Amino acid sequence: MQNDIVLVIVVATALAFDFTNGFHDTANVVATSISTRAMAPRLAVAYAAALNFAGAFISLAVAATVAADVVSADAITPTVVFAGLIGAISWNLITWYFGLPSSSSHALIGGVVGSAFAAAGPAAILGDGVVGKVLVPAVVAPIVAFAVGALAILVCYRVIGRLRPGHVGRGYRLGQVVSGGLLALAHGTNDAQKTMGVITLALIANGTLAEGANPPTWVIVSAASAIALGTYSGGWRIIRTMGTRIIRMDPAQGFSASGAGAAVILASSHYGFPLSTTQVISGGVMGAGAGKRISAVRWGVAGNIVAAWLMTIPAAAAIGAATYGVTRIFGTGAAGTIIVSAAALALVATAFARRIRAGAPVPAP
Amino acid sequence: MLATIVDTQALLKTIAAAFIAGVGVTMIFSLAILGASRFVDMARDGRPAAAIAFGAVGIAALLAAGTAVTIGIIVMTRK
Repeated sequence: MQNDIVLVIVVATALAFDFTNGFHDTANVVATSISTRAMAPRLAVAYAAALNFAGAFISLAVAATVAADVVSADAITPTVVFAGLIGAISWNLITWYFGLPSSSSHALIGGVVGSAFAAAGPAAILGDGVVGKVLVPAVVAPIVAFAVGALAILVCYRVIGRLRPGHVGRGYRLGQVVSGGLLALAHGTNDAQKTMGVITLALIANGTLAEGANPPTWVIVSAASAIALGTYSGGWRIIRTMGTRIIRMDPAQGFSASGAGAAVILASSHYGFPLSTTQVISGGVMGAGAGKRISAVRWGVAGNIVAAWLMTIPAAAAIGAATYGVTRIFGTGAAGTIIVSAAALALVATAFARRIRAGAPVPAP
Repeated sequence: MLATIVDTQALLKTIAAAFIAGVGVTMIFSLAILGASRFVDMARDGRPAAAIAFGAVGIAALLAAGTAVTIGIIVMTRK
């Protein structure tokens, strides 16, 4: 009975993380389209939500082993997963509060690494996996995307240099609708599956599913729905940062950033070297700005974003470790997870209430 | 040390493919816009041969861009 209660809380927390993932990462997909008026804000998030939902069904190769390469399997228990998820959700909400785009996947990895460390000590952390699968890609993603975005915008301007702005703007806005759609599909495929995997892992650990089982249909549908709902809710603060605060985008820059971003993400998927969608798009936006003129990029905002990237894994790990520690104060039963999840819900409600009172940015009608 | 931890082959292939795909697709789509825009201008100026040539460039580039999108979706479904 106690185990079942913990399992239900872990599933609910995983779906909550999935919601924040969609909510937080909507900006990656729609910010450039909204900024250049390729699509109306509400239409853009609805479009991204629908494609995120569809993307979750495209490929069922479970990318769920998000933590398998970085944490020893022996250290994974439902409480470790729960604490890791709380670490990831907390960091997603903190960065949303400040309007900073950061990687939800890195937050999840950081959260699970921290909680596993608190549960089983340093032996639970697979150092090679952390370096090879997380840290090196985290350095490579923004640099490659920046370079590709910068080169792409130079090519754009070279090709369309003397054309009438009206034709060019319409053309690139149309291109953004397609490249944004590809990004949304890729995001749904990658990120919804991480949640499916986390839930499946918890079901296996609880003995509800056999070892090596695929995610049941209800897990796939609920994960797809949670990320789509989160996307539709729209993280407008981060959309504003990505769309207007890094650079003032023209349609060609918007297309270069989103087109280059989609190409980089799909190329990395093809060669099995997954890169963070958030870092790729942010790097692409900065590159598209710098390619036009170095001073076009607001380097102060870019610096804040890079600082958030650097802090994501350690901060989520610290919160995950602290959450695990607090949960265990109440023993090994369900009491700790119930109390911590109630406290987390209260904190989230407070953060939303404060932000709404402070006047969260809302989309144009 | 780092080379043994990181799959450098996959990394280098990813970087090369990202540059080729990212810059390539942007260039192809820009050519499609160029072709369409020039087609309209040339047709209006009464230069049918040039209009047809630019129209053909635009259509070919648009087809190539569509192919790139299709390949992208196939990559997603096959990973």
